[in-house]
Amino acid sequence: MFGFLFGEALRDLRRAGRVAVSAILLISLSLAALGAFWLLSSNLGRAVDQFRERVKIVVYLKREPSTAESTALVERVRRMTGVGGVRYVGKSEALGTLKQVLGKDAAVADSLPQNPLPASLEITPTAEGATVEGARALVTRLSALPETEEVGGGLEWMDRFAQVQRLLWLFGLGVGAVLAGAAILTVATATALVLHVRRDEMEIMRLVGASEHVVRLPLLMQGMMQGLIGAVLAVWVLVGCYAIIGPRAEPLVTETLGIARLSFLRPPDVVSLMIAGTLLGGLGGWLARGRSEP
Amino acid sequence: MIELHRVWKTYAVGPVKVPALSDVSFRIAKGEFVTLRGPSGSGKTTLLRLLYREDVPTEGEVEVLGEEVTQLSRRQVAALRRSIGIVFQDAKLLPGRTVYENVAFVLRVLGTPRREITGRVFDALRAVGLSSRAQAYPAQLSQGEAQRAALARAVARKPLLLIADEPTGSLDEAMAGEVLDIVKDIWAGGTTVLVATHQATLAATLQRRTLTLQGGRLIKDEG
Repeated sequence: MFGFLFGEALRDLRRAGRVAVSAILLISLSLAALGAFWLLSSNLGRAVDQFRERVKIVVYLKREPSTAESTALVERVRRMTGVGGVRYVGKSEALGTLKQVLGKDAAVADSLPQNPLPASLEITPTAEGATVEGARALVTRLSALPETEEVGGGLEWMDRFAQVQRLLWLFGLGVGAVLAGAAILTVATATALVLHVRRDEMEIMRLVGASEHVVRLPLLMQGMMQGLIGAVLAVWVLVGCYAIIGPRAEPLVTETLGIARLSFLRPPDVVSLMIAGTLLGGLGGWLARGRSEP
Repeated sequence: MIELHRVWKTYAVGPVKVPALSDVSFRIAKGEFVTLRGPSGSGKTTLLRLLYREDVPTEGEVEVLGEEVTQLSRRQVAALRRSIGIVFQDAKLLPGRTVYENVAFVLRVLGTPRREITGRVFDALRAVGLSSRAQAYPAQLSQGEAQRAALARAVARKPLLLIADEPTGSLDEAMAGEVLDIVKDIWAGGTTVLVATHQATLAATLQRRTLTLQGGRLIKDEG
């Protein structure tokens, strides 16, 4: 029976002709747009995660503590929620680092009457502490320490970066949804056209006692086929664009995002796109089917 | 097999109610061959539509194959129709399918196993003398052949009841005779047959029980 229903659905797809082709192209377009934004957003997400792993919070101390005091302070800070690692940087080590940074101009530092750099604690937050909310709470806790002069290296810029990522994803979802709406209507139109052509067949089917699901399933299936074909095309377009644009964009991506290369969608994401396409087509077929009820 | 008890059917045309059937009652036993006679507009098609539950009576009871058809769910209607073969004046063959495919189509939609379909289709086509025209499309058939193909489609499912609505209405005398001979063969095989016709001579030729409708009323039950 499934073979028969599948055959009828294929026949219906051919009957829908150009309208079905339009529906397939619209589904491809909507899923390709969604997939492209998804791809960009996931790569931005990777960059954010990578930055998050490297992020440091620096606590500048009011005065340089003794060795015993610094050990106790490090231990106290290490026990705080959201703290992954703590390293004490003394005044002389800070100056040494500055000289390294200055390179051939390091003599400038030597000409200073005294070391102006404060002692500090370099804190690596845990994953929880590296979130925007986590970092904000951690900075508050660190600021409250009596030894603290100032806390630097906040995550506001990363917060903005994450917001851009979310915005991109939402924008993609919006564009995809508008195109998907158009695609559903086109599939529904294609199905309505098939219904018109098939009405004699459906009448015969009902008169001989075919069950309603046998009468209607081919309509639903041809809609799903349109969706699946559209999704396959969309993935094909995305793969093509990725193969062409990916290598050319690598230097820019490395420079701006700090990731080695753009990653393509993961296999589960591709499968999700396929399922989304099939469901879109099925929904169009179902909507038209609903209108056909005697 | 079929029992109608005080059946009325009225159609509303705007504010006006037009009676199509008025107080019709009769019984048809299993294995009978019955002709339903009457001029155009006498209510024959309306009556047949009630039997395969394409329509419901305004009043009265319609029992077919032991089922009160007005009480049936959609699923039960489908089950009832699987036991009824229906033939129309215009044959209603699907134009995009060959004669073979037209007959096979109904078997397939009813879930007949694939391996049985070819045999059953050719058995049906042989029974109506159309096996040599299996690959022809409806447009390539004469009216008589088209009607025989419709009969093949109806009997391929081995129905308990065959309902034919003016099966010879558009055929010349020779072709009509051929079609009726086939219908009689089907009846001889044990199928209950109800044939509607407006042709008085045809009803007389059949020499079977005849129900006569006029203006929606059953005015005669003879033979």
